[in-house]
Amino acid sequence: MTDTLQNTSEPDLMRREREIARRHIGKFPWLSVTWAFLNLAVWLSLWPLVLTGTLSVWIAFPIATLNVMLCYLPSHEAQHDIIARPGDRLRWLNELVGHVSTIPLVLPYRVARLTHLEHHKHTSDPDLDPDYGTHASGPLDAIWNSIQKRQPGAEGGPNAYAAALQRLGREDVMLEAVLSTLTFFVILFVLAWSGYAIEAALLWWLPRHIGQTYIVYYLSWAPHHPANETGRYRDTRAFHEMRDVLEARDCRLDGI
Amino acid sequence: MIFVIKTIFNFGALVFAFGFITPLTMQIITRAGIDLPFSLTPLMAGLILAAVWGGIAQYRGRWI
Repeated sequence: MTDTLQNTSEPDLMRREREIARRHIGKFPWLSVTWAFLNLAVWLSLWPLVLTGTLSVWIAFPIATLNVMLCYLPSHEAQHDIIARPGDRLRWLNELVGHVSTIPLVLPYRVARLTHLEHHKHTSDPDLDPDYGTHASGPLDAIWNSIQKRQPGAEGGPNAYAAALQRLGREDVMLEAVLSTLTFFVILFVLAWSGYAIEAALLWWLPRHIGQTYIVYYLSWAPHHPANETGRYRDTRAFHEMRDVLEARDCRLDGI
Repeated sequence: MIFVIKTIFNFGALVFAFGFITPLTMQIITRAGIDLPFSLTPLMAGLILAAVWGGIAQYRGRWI
């Protein structure tokens, strides 16, 4: 198959690529929608269970961590209009999933969407890709880099998102990001000074840090490593199903 | 409003230290039943840790 495709013309490669894509288009993503609401419901339910002493915070901590790690993917589907496109009957559901799924991550939907679309437009471009700061020489460096990017005086990370939003002229969305971060910290401080500091740390603060590290590692660093090329077929490791088409295009296929 | 928000973020490390690390330290010490030296109370220990660690983080721009 690969040998045959090596000599295939560009229009034929494109046609074959579209055929593969078509197999995945048009199905309603029930799994993502269920995942979004179930994941959020589990995380929210941990709070009353732990604060009333029904559930040990040490049992709730790994569950909350999983919830934060798992909350990004449904939002990603919404960012790409996969649940419903503008004008569709279920568009409200797409937007609802986008808005609520990343609450544990404290990542507003519009911030995620605008910066993620910029990432796709400019993948691995050092100046324009808001996620470029996640690139690192290896797995441990990627984890350490992700932690460093969240330090108060760090460049890149959330600051790269702010720069991207400013470039897009979306100061309104920047304000949304700032207010959501402030709200998160006010909730943490109120809980902490009300006698629930350990609970707040183990249900939200620490799971959020672990979740961010996981998401950056698996969904940002790993798919693009070593992130030294730009352009379609060059900037991202891709699907198994597309292997022969990608091989014909001389793409990097290590790790898939 | 913008000035207030910018100021909070500019002193973010110290705000986080006194807003979260102080009560967290207090509650860890209390729940673990740790006896503190020099007649320190858990609140005093929390405030000292927040001032030192938060101050360093504020100055260096990183916690670790």
